[in-house]
This record gives sequence, C-alpha cells and structure tokens, in this order.
Amino acid sequence: METLVSVNEFCVYHQVEVSFVYLLEQRGLIQTTQVDQSVYVHPEFVARLEKLVRLHQDLAVHADDLDIVINLLDQLEHLQREVVQLQNRLAFYESMTEH
Amino acid sequence: MDFIDYYSVLGVPKTASEDDIKKAYRKLARKHHPDLNPNDPEAHKKFQQINEANEVLTDPEKRKKYDQYGKDWQHAEQFEEARRQQQQRRSYTQGSTDEFDFSEGFGGADFSDFFSSLFGQEAGAGRGRRETRYRGPDYQAELHLSLRDAHATHKQTLTVNGKNIRITVLAGVENGQKIKLAGYGGPGVNGGPDGDLYITFVIADDPRYKRKGNDLYVDEEIDLYTAVLGGEKIIQTFDGKVKVSVPAGTQNGSKIRLKGKGFPVYKQEGAFGDLYVQWQVNLPTNLTDEQKELFRKLAAL
Repeated sequence: METLVSVNEFCVYHQVEVSFVYLLEQRGLIQTTQVDQSVYVHPEFVARLEKLVRLHQDLAVHADDLDIVINLLDQLEHLQREVVQLQNRLAFYESMTEH
Repeated sequence: MDFIDYYSVLGVPKTASEDDIKKAYRKLARKHHPDLNPNDPEAHKKFQQINEANEVLTDPEKRKKYDQYGKDWQHAEQFEEARRQQQQRRSYTQGSTDEFDFSEGFGGADFSDFFSSLFGQEAGAGRGRRETRYRGPDYQAELHLSLRDAHATHKQTLTVNGKNIRITVLAGVENGQKIKLAGYGGPGVNGGPDGDLYITFVIADDPRYKRKGNDLYVDEEIDLYTAVLGGEKIIQTFDGKVKVSVPAGTQNGSKIRLKGKGFPVYKQEGAFGDLYVQWQVNLPTNLTDEQKELFRKLAAL
C-alpha cells in the first residue's frame, strides 16, 4: 500500500512554505487529505508536487503561474500519447500500400 | 573519451564573464529542463551537458584548470599530482545559492567521463547541494513483445536494477503504450515514497497480421478456380483455424470481415476487434496447351 506523505515533512525537506502546497491545492493541481490533525499529500500527487517544486525553484516559475505550465505539460503528454497512436495507424496504412 | 568544449556547449566565447555564462546557462536550462521535455532523451542529455558546462565554468578553480589544460586534459592529472604534493588541497564551497542548480533532482552525479577524469569522481557532488528528491526516482523500461505475445494475457519477468519483477501483461496492449507500476522505482529518501516504474511496450510488426486498433488484417491467397466458382478456405487466426466460404465471383483484393476474430480489446474481458481477410487471387501460370485452349474457348463464349 502506498504511504501518505506529510505536507509538513515534505515542505521541510524541499524548503518550501506550506502555503505553497495549499496554493497548488486551491488551484486544483494536487490533492491533500487530512488524517487526525495532520495534512498529507495523496501518494499519486507526490511526483506531480515534486515536479511543481522543481519548476518553481529551478526555473523560478512563480507559484501563481505554475498551473499554466503544468496544464501545458499535461497537454503535451496527452498529445505525445496521441502521436504514438497515430504513428501506429500510419504504420498500418504504410504497410498496406507497400504491396 | 573526447574533449568537451564547455564554452561551445553554452555558446559563449572563452572570454565570457561569469555573468555571461550564468545568463547563457539560464537561457539553455529553461529550454532543456527535463520537466519541460518529458520523454525526450535528447533534451535530457543536452541538459546534463549544459549543467556540466555550467558546473565547470562558474567555478573559478575548475574553470582555471579547464582553461589551463584544455585539450591536453589527459595529462592534467600528472601535472596536478606534482602540484598537489606541494600545496594543501583547498576545499571550496559555493558562496551564493545558485537558483538554477538544475542537476539536483535529476541525478546530479551524471557527469561525463571527461569531467570525472579532469576533476575527479566526487567533484560533481562537491557543491553542497541539498537533496531535492524526497520521493524515489521513476524508472523507465521497455518490454519488447511480438504481436502474438500481446494477443493474450500473460506473465513476464523483468529485471530492473537487479531486481526481478513479475508483471501481468494484459491482452490488447498497444505498441508504445506505457503502464505504471507504482512503487517499483527508486527508493525514497528520508522515508519518502518509492518512485514508480514505467514500462513502455514495444510490439514488433507481424509478418502475417497487420493491426489497426483492435482490428487485424490478413492477406489470404486463393486460386482462380475458387475465386470464380466459389469454395471454402481455412483461415489461421491467433485463436485457431476458421473455415470461411468464398463466394463465387470473388474479386482480387476484395475483403471479408470475421466479426470478433480480431485483437482483444485492452481491459475489456471478452471483447475483440474484427479480422479482415483480403483475398489475393493467384492467376495460374505455366499453362499447358490444353489449359490455354480451354481458356480461349471460355473467352470466345
């Protein structure tokens, strides 16, 4: 079973403010869950949250603008999947015209 | 191992100031950052190169050594050895925090052999970086299958970083499809969760069957007499043999559809695409005189 990641621990580790994580949640970019008195990041959002931290810290993307970047990246990944499917289809038609 | 021209990697002249180098690095890093270039190994490689160039050229000591030995880098260690004996090795720390320190989180130890040879194995890790990965890194792997393999749900054992992982490959996977095995990536740091393993399926073309989505296409040869007069033909499918009737007057290149005899639909138990059979009518060759005469008679009727 995947473990929940404490928001506080995550923020200390990554040297980001807790408010940064809450802002991302408000924007609908990640989801957190409260257990007793502590708030945790759902495991499936940890990789996404770390990506957002990198974009913020490495590329100096403002927290308010991260939704634009991550939404475009989501679109990019969606398009990449679509390209693979279209390439498979193209390969099919190309093989049909070969003979 | 080749000499790496760090100045040309960053596109700056040898006389560039530290500020020029930082600007050039920042510009290139914003373009090639791995998070902005998902599934692009070339961009990741480029990013490592510019990162390494930045590491060398923004560190006065490394830059001096690099400039001094240049293409004679292979002899640098010999020169350095003599120097080392006389001079206590200075330890250095980076003065200011480098807000564009990209190598963290992307395997900062990924330096070239050239770099390691000139500066030592540990040089890349010597800048006092904090660790930025809490969650373990994701691993990427490819699993090569034949079309027949992909046709049926089956088990496969993968070896990833020395660990055997047994996975179930579901029938109907598509070429280029990626699945995630949560928690099978690299270990997390300080109690952080483990990364994920992503497996991309690479399905080789089949010499007999062509696949379009869930449908399969196959060419079947029939002789002229079956095409003209009609008959039966046994068709080999992935699931076994199927007997189909060939109607009289079947044209070369015409198709029939065998419903539900195509490829299984991914994650839809019992659902299958269709199999399209395209008839290839073989005309008889090397006819005997008698056969030719009969064809002439037919033509004259």
